[in-house]
Amino acid sequence: MILFKLLKVTGSSLEPEFKEGDFVGISGIPFLFHPPQTGDVIVFRKPPYGTMIKTIARVEPGQKEIEVWGTHKDSVDSRSFGPISFDSVIGKVIWRIHNRR
Amino acid sequence: MIEKILTKLDRLLHFERARAHCDIPCGIYDPHLSQLAALTVIRMVDLMAELSGMEKKENIEYHNSMSRYVAIKEEHAELCKREVRVIWGDYIKQEHLDKYPELAGLVHKIMQLGSKSRQTASRETALELLKAVNRFAEIYWETKNIPTKRVKAPYKPGEEVVYPVL
Repeated sequence: MILFKLLKVTGSSLEPEFKEGDFVGISGIPFLFHPPQTGDVIVFRKPPYGTMIKTIARVEPGQKEIEVWGTHKDSVDSRSFGPISFDSVIGKVIWRIHNRR
Repeated sequence: MIEKILTKLDRLLHFERARAHCDIPCGIYDPHLSQLAALTVIRMVDLMAELSGMEKKENIEYHNSMSRYVAIKEEHAELCKREVRVIWGDYIKQEHLDKYPELAGLVHKIMQLGSKSRQTASRETALELLKAVNRFAEIYWETKNIPTKRVKAPYKPGEEVVYPVL
């Protein structure tokens, strides 16, 4: 489990909340208290795309599967690649720094 | 302030990227690049045959030219595969597969012929590759209700190519 990790956002599917170049801090600790839930912004691994950041749109009850969506209409997310598994989640975004450049 | 620190830290440590991936469908597809690539493979095979027919082979010019022909053949056989894969993956829909039952087999054949064109210097294989991508192009334009014609390319190797009639 990841205690804390800093990542940089690329792509625009989560605009306007998260923009290209923003920094996010993620952690797995929140999941010790409650499992991933709708509305959480999470970072997860999704081959072949790599490490992705999206918002949880729905958690399949009992199935250990999560649907993730972006806010942009052209977002590549569960609408194209289907739900992701709990195991692929790396952490929840707990800190965010806008890059105003 | 903190963003400046983070930006500097990022330059130093290069944080992992979290992709908020967007795929903007551009809708621009054209099999012509794959056909040009197949023609290039044929041309390179011809140039290689021409060069190997020369008497003086053990000189640096010979090896330089041969290496260049081989490199271009490799590159274009791969380019041909790539261009077909993009149309296959991003444009071809179930309805096309239903209408053209040969399509899946045809694309698979192009992948194999593309690889074989790299492995060998066979003109026959390169011609088969062109024939297959020509058929692929014909189907592609047909899905858009655009008629096609077959004409000889106005440059070497002068083989027949499928063009859309626009």
